[in-house]
Amino acid sequence: MVRLTDLPPAQAKRYGELDCPNLGFTPFASGPPLAQRRVAIVASAGLVVRGEKPFRGGDADYRVIPSSTPPDQLLFSHISINLDRTGFQEDWNTVFPLDRLNALAEERVIGSVAATHYSFMGATDPVLMAPHARAVAGLLKQDRVDAVLLSPV
Amino acid sequence: MSALGHYLEVEGIPTVAISLVRPQTERTRPPRALWVPFELGRPFGAPSDAAFQRRVVLAALRLLEAPNGPVLLEDFPDDDPRARPDPAWRAPLARFDPAATAHDALPSALEIEAPQLAPLYAAARAQRGGRTTVGLSGMTIDAAVRYVADFLRGKPMTSPSAEVSPVLALRFAADDLKAFYTEAASAGSAKPSSRQIGDWFWNDSAAGAALQALRRTHLDSPDDRLKLIAGLFLVPGARVPNSC
Repeated sequence: MVRLTDLPPAQAKRYGELDCPNLGFTPFASGPPLAQRRVAIVASAGLVVRGEKPFRGGDADYRVIPSSTPPDQLLFSHISINLDRTGFQEDWNTVFPLDRLNALAEERVIGSVAATHYSFMGATDPVLMAPHARAVAGLLKQDRVDAVLLSPV
Repeated sequence: MSALGHYLEVEGIPTVAISLVRPQTERTRPPRALWVPFELGRPFGAPSDAAFQRRVVLAALRLLEAPNGPVLLEDFPDDDPRARPDPAWRAPLARFDPAATAHDALPSALEIEAPQLAPLYAAARAQRGGRTTVGLSGMTIDAAVRYVADFLRGKPMTSPSAEVSPVLALRFAADDLKAFYTEAASAGSAKPSSRQIGDWFWNDSAAGAALQALRRTHLDSPDDRLKLIAGLFLVPGARVPNSC
């Protein structure tokens, strides 16, 4: 599994031909060396902290995931059922690599780990996500984040 | 995901994306991306393999230090070692034969089968320090099983939550049912691939047969929401008979 050639033909065709947004240009922000960066995760797996409202079809907003969230409190609510969930069930780092970031921070490979991370639900019109993404950008800046690891599913 | 990166970069925040579907990334052209040859649903690769995950995370983060850009798309060289089947893994229950079971008997078969997995589910949970991913529906697993079974029986359903329609509650209950089964199937020292677990669930369990039956039953429902949930959110496309 994993390359398009490994998927069932109908699914591979769908993913390969999926409409992609034309965003016009590619911005390119820069920052200090990795050892000085503060890193956050922004996932699109529809992650929610247990007890919060799971994502529904068309939801373009986001959920907040504090770094202090215990692994047993994080749920995967992406609406697509064509995604593996057994990896996340066994180890949340397959989708939300917070333990890996914490280890890299302890080793001083990265500067620090953000206090808060975020999740969207990927199967949503990206245009509708724009205002919510800008809101997340504001929150990331408040947390002095200067590197985001984007985790799709 | 690329769009999210775009919006954050415009606000001055550097991003690097994991790419799972390379042709999409080639078209959306995010500023930095690491394509990984992993299964959809696990962007950082092998579960319970910190060293492997670390290599993926670092390969992605290193792109943030590249001086030139935008549009850096690199390929991670290694496959997920956990994508390989583990011959030591055994299905958790004797095979359920859906072909030998009448449609009307499926709800009861599900209600008889699910409790048999409770000890394995508890063991798997203990292996993970008490962690489980069951919980989207807000129901106990017994209640989620009953909800799915009663839906299949055609009973008039009431949602357990005022904020969730009965049809949406079915989606969440089905998600919890699948999580309960697949977590139980991973108990023990074997390291099954997702395909091994999926093959068992969809081909050899009463739960898989019940969800397939729910899908078939409601594909032509006059209720558009039920038709949508049945058609797209109960059975993965790759598990729909004759879909590919």
